[in-house]
Amino acid sequence: MNTRLLMTMQVNVGTAQNIGAVPYGTRRTAPISGGTFEGPRLRGTVLQAGSADWLLLRSDGVLELDLRCTLRTDDGALISMGSFGLRHGPPDVIAAIGRGESVDASMYYFRTLPRFVTAHQAYAFLNRLVAVASGERRPQGPIYTIHEVL
Amino acid sequence: MSDPIKFRPLMVLRLETAAWQEFGSTPQGALTIVPVVGGSFAGDRLRGKVLAGGGDWIMADANGTFSLDLRITLETDDGALIHMTFGGVRDDANHYLRTTPRFETAASQYAFLNRLLAIGIGEIRAEGPVHVIEEVL
Repeated sequence: MNTRLLMTMQVNVGTAQNIGAVPYGTRRTAPISGGTFEGPRLRGTVLQAGSADWLLLRSDGVLELDLRCTLRTDDGALISMGSFGLRHGPPDVIAAIGRGESVDASMYYFRTLPRFVTAHQAYAFLNRLVAVASGERRPQGPIYTIHEVL
Repeated sequence: MSDPIKFRPLMVLRLETAAWQEFGSTPQGALTIVPVVGGSFAGDRLRGKVLAGGGDWIMADANGTFSLDLRITLETDDGALIHMTFGGVRDDANHYLRTTPRFETAASQYAFLNRLLAIGIGEIRAEGPVHVIEEVL
């Protein structure tokens, strides 16, 4: 599988909204308070409004991530991004992340599949690509390294 | 500098399809449903057949790019059922057909499928669609 770097994106998360036990697991919503993204072909900021990660901790211990965020490029284009992801690992590692500790990203699985929608012609290529990202959870919020699937 | 993401082969999926159902322009775009009536899948860790009853719900946008929305049931050679879905992009102008498969199963020997993300490279051949699917490591 050939990929190339699309961008790195770091977001900061605000206070989680703990929805609690729902039929398929435990649901928590993590509002995004802002962030930045940068790559060879695009860079800009992650808007706070309308951006969050909807998290579902499944009964098998896997965390499903359903991210939606709005990106604004440095030349003013709006890009809607969504991604589905999975995060899981050994219980002690996941517990350390939960306590807000810094954990080496190689200790757990944190991958997402971003999709993009934009009406801006300069970024129309984003509408037509599939991407894959590796994530790293920091106490203040995740960093994603996003690659285009060629 | 970031390390590239690594992949591991998961399976080659071959689909048998029935006549396409062309719906024409809907509010969301031009819809085509491609029924899946059979097929096979094979990889180091699982193999078996595709059951009839699934399909791919394909929406064309104004620029001729297709959004894929497949759902099928796989039956392994040892009798497990696996619910499989994928979204994806088909852009014929760039010979680009990439998918993001997901799997759900209750069979413990295939529970690893519940915990992985995958990417597929698809190709429409005369005998039907073929997808080479790799696990995202």
